[in-house]
Parts: sequence; structure tokens; C-alpha cells
Amino acid sequence: MVRYLARRLGQSLLTIFLTVSTVFVLVRLAPGDPATSYAGPNATTEDLARIREQFGLDDSVFAQYLIFLRDLFTGDLGTSYSFHAPAFDVVMDRLPYTTTLAISAIALTTVVAVPLGVWMARRADTNREIGANIVTIAGQSMPDFWSGVMLLTAFAVLIPVLPSSGFTTWGGLVLPTITVAILQMALISRLVRREMAGALASPYITVARSRGVSERALTWRYGLRNSAIPVLTALGTRFAALLNGVVVVEVVFGWPGVGSLVVRALETRDYPLIQATVLVTAALAILVQLLIDLAYPLLDPRVRLGKAA
Amino acid sequence: MTRFTPPILGRRTLLSVGAGLGAGLALSQLTACAGPTGAAGPGTISLGLNRSLVSLDNKLNQFEAAVTVQRAVRQALTSIDQNLRPQLVLADRFELDEASGSWTVRLRDDVHYSDDTPVTVEDVATALRYYGEVNGSFIVGLFPEMPTVEPVDDRTFRLHTQRPVAVLDYLMANIHITPAAANEPVELSSGVGSGPYVVTRANGGTGEYELARNDRYWGPAPSLRNVRVRFVPEESSRVVGLRSGEIDVIDSISPDSADQLDGMRGVRIQRSPGTRINQLFFNFRKPRGHPLADPAVREALTYAIDGRALIDNVLTGSAQQAEGVVPVALEGAARTGAFTYDPRQARQRLDALGVRDLAVKIIWETGEFAADTFIMEAVQEMLSDVGVRSTLQQFEPGGDILQWRQGRRGDWDVLGNGFGNPTGLALTSLQGMYAGTPEREETRDTYQGFVYPEVAGLISDATAEADRDARNLLLTDVQQRIWDLWPCLWAFVPDAVLAHRTRMTDPALKPINSYDLASVALEG
Repeated sequence: MVRYLARRLGQSLLTIFLTVSTVFVLVRLAPGDPATSYAGPNATTEDLARIREQFGLDDSVFAQYLIFLRDLFTGDLGTSYSFHAPAFDVVMDRLPYTTTLAISAIALTTVVAVPLGVWMARRADTNREIGANIVTIAGQSMPDFWSGVMLLTAFAVLIPVLPSSGFTTWGGLVLPTITVAILQMALISRLVRREMAGALASPYITVARSRGVSERALTWRYGLRNSAIPVLTALGTRFAALLNGVVVVEVVFGWPGVGSLVVRALETRDYPLIQATVLVTAALAILVQLLIDLAYPLLDPRVRLGKAA
Repeated sequence: MTRFTPPILGRRTLLSVGAGLGAGLALSQLTACAGPTGAAGPGTISLGLNRSLVSLDNKLNQFEAAVTVQRAVRQALTSIDQNLRPQLVLADRFELDEASGSWTVRLRDDVHYSDDTPVTVEDVATALRYYGEVNGSFIVGLFPEMPTVEPVDDRTFRLHTQRPVAVLDYLMANIHITPAAANEPVELSSGVGSGPYVVTRANGGTGEYELARNDRYWGPAPSLRNVRVRFVPEESSRVVGLRSGEIDVIDSISPDSADQLDGMRGVRIQRSPGTRINQLFFNFRKPRGHPLADPAVREALTYAIDGRALIDNVLTGSAQQAEGVVPVALEGAARTGAFTYDPRQARQRLDALGVRDLAVKIIWETGEFAADTFIMEAVQEMLSDVGVRSTLQQFEPGGDILQWRQGRRGDWDVLGNGFGNPTGLALTSLQGMYAGTPEREETRDTYQGFVYPEVAGLISDATAEADRDARNLLLTDVQQRIWDLWPCLWAFVPDAVLAHRTRMTDPALKPINSYDLASVALEG
């Protein structure tokens, strides 16, 4: 277990390093000049030269990279050009909003999609299941900006019971959560339905049923437990993706998360902020994946970490 | 056969611990970012800004709505009023000595910061020095040169410049004063000010601030107890927030949103003639012999543009066609002419000048002004009607339009560009756009290559002219000279527009698209 953890930790660090290094080079290859974004359209050539010197942008990309690595190992991710504050601090100001939205959306997804998927599997090929299928396909097909605007119009404008933007009250979490969760619920419920349908048709379920095990136990203890790993993997992957920010939902609901921060950082060519955001979100995504892997043996004792199947 | 190794801890235990940790983490995150309060309560208003206020200092960033909030916390020696005239704030005397060209300023004897320490001459000197030391400061560009401070006594000082700057009382409205010991040559994210409000919570990363009434304010106490400032980037979200009552004030709104909100119950719209000019500016770097290097050709092309239709149909009446080279609301601005729509005359003039088969390239950055793409497409059609072919090239924010503007990336003919003015002075806009010199053009730092030494000379003379009437005469002359060069294919001045809930009093919007937060009160 310790060796496994050490190996995974090493892999994770390498992945983060490669990701950040790739982003470091790619943002510098894109057109645009951070100095121009920083100083505005009326800056003189002299102003721009001073700003480039101030931020070390007149060094070669390789020299900038070496400085970046040196600072990275001392925990300094640089100063954001547009926020005039440590880039890491700016990301951490926004991160609670992103994690809150991601956690609440995944929680809602789990609470709704798992029972729905189980229900669909137990009623496979009935009219009710076909109806539920249509609903989930619709949920999967709806772009989140559209569902967000519709929810906003319904519950913030026509029946103004919920805030339309920001997170100044707890109610502010409701509409963004539902908007994000609609797509996730559609995806996860269909996955649960597929896995559960397979599990419920397995010989061990038939044997258990013949031995008089109740349908409730067959579904929730036998069937769901054996379907849990792919579902957990999917939930974890979706959660990790949400931690990178949900730009459209953040824009529609004025949610100050990491997604809109990245867009702004890219627009202003704020290199330190782009790098800090990528570093933090990549680290979080990798951590989530690691936690999911560690959870496998808890769900299924046959799984042993670090051993080939 | 798979060998089963019993775990040290039971699976149930681990799952329970995991669930508990997850719940704890979720709760801590929620607590971290959600305040305990609901919608703006009694004595509180909420402002929804279109751009993120990264700090309450303006050494680097100054956009219109930011000024409103920044000045509620940090004040300057003067401020610009609704009639675009300077008013004394921290100073009770601000006088120009015409003989020496220096200004004598005296601080009010009762001004102090929110921590009760007095505003001193050293604070002013330090502020001026640090504004000058910041790279890329927008504010410094407004000053022909930064003044230096010579103390006279503990409240009085002189402001010196190498050449007289006769409008320093206007310009100093942009220099916010902070205690010298707490000031730095960077944008400050904390610290005290002398304004009617103090910051009680600040999150520069999300652009959210909470201000509370400064109980030690040296002036009349503001009516509002608290002000909440939020960054809501999407205009439709700000409009919905205003309609639902979550936000009390939104500003810098587009014509479409203003139309949508106009007449809505509980919402009031305020408009003021603006100080920003949006132009379709010709490229003045064309070689001799190029049709666009000839003012007569440029003038002929202006007849092709139906400005009235653009104002009425695209901008829905929220702007005025320019009647001069700067907005006429500015102090010292002159009405120098008008854009006339007459496509037949355009074609006749072009024919008479021997210009046939002219093709122009129009460039602009997305969001430079409201309805930018619609305007450009309409202009393309209008030019086509007089036989002028045009191509449009749109740049995304953060791209390399500056390189294009300077002619380093490619050639172009017309640039869609806006030029704001936070001082209320025509002189500032003229200086920024039309005072180009051959020396500055060597580094392509003039305004689209506009280099006319006699124009630059007149602007410089006006800057130094102490007598207001004489200065305005000089300015009228120089504006007419510029107009006669036909620098713009078309230009318009958008209104400053603000929408607010009727539960608060009118915020007295100034043409510089800002208002005095301390003068706002709740109705009833």
C-alpha cells in the first residue's frame, strides 16, 4: 500500500510538472502581449519595454522557464499582472466557490441519478423506463447556458424566489447547482441503469433470488454494490472536471469561480495566473482521482491496489 | 483464486470516516465563501460592476464605475462635478500663480483619515511620486508632466511643473491621497483613506467588497450605512439582478439593456451626455499619394455614412453623432462641424478626385464600443453603396491589435476605437489623440500616425495658458484645424447610462460616468 501510494504520488507530481510546463510554453506561443494588456491601448513603446522588463518578459522563454521552476520550488507562483496580487492567492480566493459548486452539484447528481438509474434498470423496457429515458436524453442534450438562462428566467425573474447571481445567500447556490447537475444526472443515471441492468441479469442474482433474498436486498446490496466501481469512477471524473470550473454556468450566474478566472487570465495574457490556475486545478483533479482509486478496495474487496488483476 | 487480505480498518469505518471528512470539507468550503447575510438589508445598497475591481487604488486601474467606489474610500484634493468643473475636496485653496505657473494649495484644517490621523503635505508629495513610479499608469498619461511638491507650511504647499499646467486642479482629481507611510509605488490593496466609507471586507480575487459608513468622516455623514460591491461580468445577469432587486445600481449598460429596463416598475434610468468618443479613425500612416492621405478623399468618404440611421437603429438613440473632434460636453470643447449623409455627393467627390475602385480595411477589437460588430457591418454596406469595397477584421481582447494599430503587423485603413476622458477637459482628449510629434512617431507612439506639429504646438500652448477664455480660444482654433483634416470616417459620443432601483435616490450621474456614493440615500 505504501509503495503504491509512493508510486502514485510520484506519477502525480510528474503529471502536474508536465502539465504546467506544457501550459507555460503554449501560452507564450499564443499571439498577444501581456504588457499591452497590462498597460492598456495608450501605452507608449517605452512603457511597454519597462513593463516587459519588470515582469521578465524580455528574457528568452527558456530563461523565463528556469526562473519559473526556481520560484515554483520555493512556492512562489508569481504575481498576477491583472490583479496585482500573488497569483496563488487570487486562485485560492476563487477556489472555495468552485469546490462548493462542484461538491453540491455532484451531491445532487448522486442523490438523484443513482436511485433514478436503479429505478430505470428495475423497469427496463417498460413504458415508464422509456419515458425516463426520454427525460435523461433531453437532459443530456440541453446546453447548460440554455438550461441556466431558463432556470434564471423562471425562478429569478418570473417567480423571483431565488437569487440570480453570485453567492451572497445560500439560495444563490441552488440555480447554478441544478444547472450543472442536469447534465451530470442524465449521464450518471444512464450509466447506473446500464450497469445495474447487467448486474441484475447476472447468475449470482438469480441464485440469490432462488434462495429467497428480498428484491430490496438484491437491488441495493447485491446489484448496486457490484455496479459501484464504474459509477464511482464516472462520478469522480465528473467531479474532477467540475473543479476546473464551469465557465458558462459561472458567467450566467455571476459565480466567481476558477473557470471565469481562467478566461480572464487568458484574455489578459496573465501568464502567472494561468499557470497558478492550471497547477491548482490539475493538483486537485489528480488528488480526486487518487482518492477514487483508494476507494475501490473499500467498495469491492476483490480489488487490491498495486497488483495486476 | 484471489487472496483476500482483511483490511486493518473495516470498510464501513473507512467509508464513514471518508463521508465525515467529505461533509466537513464541504461545510468548511461553504462557510468560507458564503456570508451570513441575505439580500441588501436596510441602510445598504448593492452595486453590480461590469468589471472586476481588483483594488480600491487607481494607480493602475481606473474605469468609470471603479472611480465611484474608489473615491468613496480614498479622496483627492479636488473632484470633478456634474458640470465637469473642479470642486475642492481635501484642499480649501487651489490657486494658480500666473506669473510663476505654480499652484498654491492648502489642505483643509479638518481633514483626516478614518484612523483619525491628519492628511499631510507629505502624503500628497508621496502620492504624486508613487503614481509617477508605477509602470503603465493610466493616470500619469493624463498629465503633461507630473508636478512636484514644495511644502510651505504644515498645510500649504506649491505644485511645480517645468511648463505651466493650467488645468492641474482638474488633473489632481485623479490622484488619491493615502498616508505616506502606508503608500507604495504599486496598487494598494488595503489601507485607510479619508473618504466617507471604510472597507470592512475585500476580496480582490472575486471583486467583492463591503463598505461601511466612516463614523469619523470629516465631512457630512453619508446616509447609507453599508455598500456592497459585486462583480457581475455578464450584462444580462446584472439586468436580471436589478430587476429582481438583488442589485440596486448597474452602470455602463448597453442600449439594448437600457431599452429593456426603461419604464420597468421599480427601476429608473439615468442618462448623461458622455465624455468618451468612439471613432472610425483613419490611418494617418498612409504614404504620400495614397488616396486616404488626402483630406478631401477622407471627407468624401464621410458622406457615405448614414450616422443618423446608425444612432437610431443600431444604438437605439443612446448616443449622439460627434459634432467636433472631442465630445462637446467637455470643458473647452468646440462644435466644429457635422457628419452629413449624402451618398451621391460622396461618389461625385470621389470621382472628381479621381478615386475609383477604392478598397479599405476596417479593424477593431471586440467590445471596443456597444454594438461594434453591427456598426461595422452597416458601415461596410454603406461604403459598398458608394462603390467602395471594404473588408472587416475583428480582434479578440488580449490579441495583437496594438501591433496592427502601430502598423507592425499589417496595413489597415480605418480603426474602430474609443477614447475615454476622466478629467472633463477637452485638453486631455486633444493631448491624448492629436498632440503627436515626429519624435513620438519614430516609436509609433502617436495616435494612429496623426502628426501635425502645428496642432501639437497649439495644444501645448493651450496647456500652459492660465486664462480660461484665452485657453478656450486656442482650443477652438486647434479643434477646427483638426476637424478640417477629417480624421474620422464617422464618430459618435455614447451617453453615460445608469440604471438603479427606485428605493434609492437618484445618484446624480456625472458625464464622466461616475457619481458620488455619499450623496445617495434610500427613499422613505
